[in-house]
Amino acid sequence: METDKRITSTAGKGFYHIYRFIIVALVIMLFIPGLNPSRIAGIINRNISLLTTSFSYATLTNGMGRAMRKGWVLESTMRTLQLSGLGITLGILLGTAGACLSLGNDRCHRISTRLTLTGTILALLSCSGIFVSYGQIALTEKPSKVAPMFPTMVVPLIVALVILLVVSVILLFKVPKSAKHQPLYMESRYYLFLLLLPFLALVFVFNYLPLWGWRYAFFDYHAGDTLSLDNFVGFKWFRELIANKSTVKDVGNVMKNTLAMSGLGIATSWLPMAFAIFLNEVKHSRFRKFVQTFTTIPNFISWVLVFSIAFAMFSTDGFLSSIMINTGVWKQGQNLLMDGSHTWLKMLLWGTWKGLGWSAIIYIAGISGIDQQLYEAATVDGASRFQRMWHVTVPGLLPTFFVLLLMSVANILSNGMEQYLVFENSNNSAAIMVLDLYVYKMGIVNGNIPISTVLSMLKSVVSVVLLFVANGASKLIRGESII
Amino acid sequence: MAMTRQEKIDARAEKEYYKHHKSRFRTKPQDTIFAVINYIVFAVFAFLCIFPFYYLFINTISDNSLVSKGLINFVPRGIHFGNYARLLQVPDLFTSVMVTISRTVLGTALMVLASAFVGYLVTKHEMWGRQVWYRFIVVTMYFNAGIIPWFLNMNMLGLTNHFAAYIIPGIVAPYNIILVKTYIESGIPGELEESAKLDGASYLQIFRTIILPLAKPILATITIFGAVGQWNSFQDSLILMQSAPQLYTLQHRLYIYLNTTSNLAALMQSGGSSVSKAVLESALSGKVIKYTISMVTIIPILLVYPFMQRYFEKGIMMGAVKG
Repeated sequence: METDKRITSTAGKGFYHIYRFIIVALVIMLFIPGLNPSRIAGIINRNISLLTTSFSYATLTNGMGRAMRKGWVLESTMRTLQLSGLGITLGILLGTAGACLSLGNDRCHRISTRLTLTGTILALLSCSGIFVSYGQIALTEKPSKVAPMFPTMVVPLIVALVILLVVSVILLFKVPKSAKHQPLYMESRYYLFLLLLPFLALVFVFNYLPLWGWRYAFFDYHAGDTLSLDNFVGFKWFRELIANKSTVKDVGNVMKNTLAMSGLGIATSWLPMAFAIFLNEVKHSRFRKFVQTFTTIPNFISWVLVFSIAFAMFSTDGFLSSIMINTGVWKQGQNLLMDGSHTWLKMLLWGTWKGLGWSAIIYIAGISGIDQQLYEAATVDGASRFQRMWHVTVPGLLPTFFVLLLMSVANILSNGMEQYLVFENSNNSAAIMVLDLYVYKMGIVNGNIPISTVLSMLKSVVSVVLLFVANGASKLIRGESII
Repeated sequence: MAMTRQEKIDARAEKEYYKHHKSRFRTKPQDTIFAVINYIVFAVFAFLCIFPFYYLFINTISDNSLVSKGLINFVPRGIHFGNYARLLQVPDLFTSVMVTISRTVLGTALMVLASAFVGYLVTKHEMWGRQVWYRFIVVTMYFNAGIIPWFLNMNMLGLTNHFAAYIIPGIVAPYNIILVKTYIESGIPGELEESAKLDGASYLQIFRTIILPLAKPILATITIFGAVGQWNSFQDSLILMQSAPQLYTLQHRLYIYLNTTSNLAALMQSGGSSVSKAVLESALSGKVIKYTISMVTIIPILLVYPFMQRYFEKGIMMGAVKG
């Protein structure tokens, strides 16, 4: 007998919610080192997640070479540990597949519960493997070096797995028997969602999960430490930002540079529009094409290459020095890049060199969208060339200009760091240090994670606020939002 | 084409008008001055944009002894390509080139496929929670946790000092997803999809047989911009690969070379024993090597540039229309 494929019993609906929730939590656990249930000894790297444990034996035993050679830790212990990790991971993956299928019809539900049941049992069995490894490692000759520790994270894992087990057994009985003869079917709304899910996971992992790193702002953290109540310092770093004299001075200087360079950028943001308007007055189309081609190229090379070009032009044995020496103006070559004066202006000029032609393209496209009749009408009314540019072209481009201007106001704190990193040297360091570069130097180069995290945080929050303000301004003035 | 009666009348009226107001349309001297200045300014700027590349290039192919004396400024002399051949001796350069090529090819391919697929999926109004998920993706363009939390996150995921760090985080590119979505919504007629659906095609079949081929122009655009981005990437190599020099990208390598020349010349000297010392010394003047590595880094960009150009406006204008 043919059963309707669409039949999806509502049986156990609430249980499915518990089930999916647990699965999502377990999947997140796979990635987070702090929640790794297989960390049974202090000697094991504290930065490895369960996922890494299960797939990379080399990473798992990294740094244990001596302990294993001396026989403090047996290879079989570590192999067991890895296999247990693998078992748990596979169990969770089976559960995840089940959770995905649970969005389908009764037949899908049937398969779903079976998969989950298998996965849960596999994971629970593997948990016992962790205890076996722990039992072995606890008997080590050198507890001081190996530092065996009870894997506390196994407890919540087992609790979650047991709940999952109970839920899937209940669901196993709830799914109607008739489901056996149904074809596999899932409503397209859920099917499409499942297709999108892997990408949403990627977005979550790489764009939302970093927010979890904000917690470092509240700890006295040094590379290699773990975060615990012992080094929790609350708002200490935030206060330090205001109270510590030298930090205040540094940050004040950095803010000055950041705002100055962004300000210069904003003050010259009409340049691309002017570029486009004047280029439009060039009647020779081949020449216009030629200018456009050549002025856009610099946008596509990296800042490292821009610096390389600056080096070729302005360093001690570069182009300018050669010319000056050959004409006898200079006695010897000068390295203008090491010159620390007018740094803001120079950075603005390099930015303009790189970006002007490119930024003009949007306005060039905008001009071609302006109604030609407006020009004809203006000409007929006796408008001169400049009057046409000012009264027809400029108003036509203003909306675009306005949006870009608001965006650059919203991005006032984000100068990016590459340009300033490559051009930085001992002479211009004080004037070139923008926020992005300062945070990089502070956090990555000097390893001062907490305070640089504080700065990162503040910057993100201020940027979002600015974006909303800019958007609000746009809505108010133009009645249109920019995002 | 035959003119309608009204057009004929208009044309005649226009002619009359020009005849009576001739002076208004005559080229005035100030117009000529304006045009000349305009041409000159643009020519100078275009020259400033292109000359450094030319300068780098002629210095890499000219006689090295002339180059080291600073005599090659406008015209190449003693043309040879030995400097490029010698780059093979530069330690670690080859590895970096391979890393950069791999990440460019692999990273771009995955990003384009993912953007096409996700861009297609988010056009499906029947999807559960479509609007929420779309915003979930797009919001990340305007907000990020900051560079240090990003680094800590990559570290936590075990992606530091790992090649995958170049590829996986870039797979979902929100801006490109918006471009594809907008393109599909405005450029591909919904009836095509509807009729395929009636014929029993699944979403994946529709994606493969209808969306992918028809979205080619926008996919070409994001491919080229994606590839250039991958090729130019420097920051991720700098921050994430601190203890994996074998994974440095070409840009990162170049940055290091630009900051330490003398060592490089020394290293190469110890490496190439078969070449006579005098030749080596002249060839290895740090400057030329820096220029040559820069050229190698620029050339691929210049090669794809002509293809890119025609996608400029499309890419930019599509971006302005946000969905």
